[in-house]
Amino acid sequence: MDFDQSANRVVGTARIPGAPAPKKAPVPVKIIVAGGFGVGKTTTVGAISEISPLTTEAEMTSESVGIDDPGQATMKTGTTVAMDFGVLTIDQTLKLYIFGTPGQTRFAFMWDDLVKGALGALVVVDTNRIDDCYPAVDYFERAGLPFVVGINTFNGQMNYSVDEVRWALAVREDVPVVSFDARFRASVRDALLVVLDQALDKAIRMKTP
Amino acid sequence: MTYPDPDDAAPQATPGVRPFLQSGPQHSTGGYTPTGEHPPVETSTNALRPFVITSGRTDGGDPDIGMETQVTVVPGAPPSRLSPETRAIVSLCEESPISVAEISARLRLHLGVTRILVGDLRATGQLDVHVLDNDTPDPETIMRVIRGLRSIS
Repeated sequence: MDFDQSANRVVGTARIPGAPAPKKAPVPVKIIVAGGFGVGKTTTVGAISEISPLTTEAEMTSESVGIDDPGQATMKTGTTVAMDFGVLTIDQTLKLYIFGTPGQTRFAFMWDDLVKGALGALVVVDTNRIDDCYPAVDYFERAGLPFVVGINTFNGQMNYSVDEVRWALAVREDVPVVSFDARFRASVRDALLVVLDQALDKAIRMKTP
Repeated sequence: MTYPDPDDAAPQATPGVRPFLQSGPQHSTGGYTPTGEHPPVETSTNALRPFVITSGRTDGGDPDIGMETQVTVVPGAPPSRLSPETRAIVSLCEESPISVAEISARLRLHLGVTRILVGDLRATGQLDVHVLDNDTPDPETIMRVIRGLRSIS
């Protein structure tokens, strides 16, 4: 299958004959890194990204009750949230974007935007505050997006075992729960590979009805 | 939850009216904070009424333009009068293909604003927006990502 030819639809068609051919745009794919405030999302993104994580501000309309910013966020209908993201160039025609998203609040609109076309998600969990990740888990389950629960073992510390976290989250049997260290590239890479494995399973299932 | 006093000089902005304009440094509470603390300092240079740049449009973003969508310049596009923001976008895209999220981050432009402006520039023939035909990732592509990730150390 000639993926590179078919995947890009150039929408603007204005071309001047004889003008140099434009540089071919790579195909972007994305993985979402979600979880509560301060669980290590930005560390995770930074560990794997080839650039230092960038931040974009996005407008979220939600009926959220904020945890990052209590008192301000609780009464608003429009909230500006900062999203960190990184990039990993797979090759000249394929780029992986990793979006770290404030997942502790129910920013329904942002989630829909973010999840569209995503390969899958890594839900980062701090065992000190397991319940911070519930909204993310709820959302990905409902959206049918492949996801993996990644327990961030700060300094190798884990207050609960993988099994205990799985029990607390009550995720389906086929949702992997893994532990990783957000500070180390190889560890983040392995966690993302588990996400991609889930994504591949789903993509194959979708292709063979 | 504490509600602002209705007699307060800066009541909460009416929900539904220009909702995107409530997001400036004053937030919707008009600077009023129940605890008497100062509101958090905004670090973004474009925090003030970001959608003024888009002439107030907040919903003009093409739903096909995602955060990771790649944008390139149209070579030899006819010159047109550009605002400082749109000119900055075009010159960013000149170097190499770039995503909407990167444009937003590098220019410190609100993501929603960036999407609208990129859509404008596509409409005027300045930019190519490479929208993917197929939203659902195919196994082939995922395999390539897996191979690529495995090769990093």
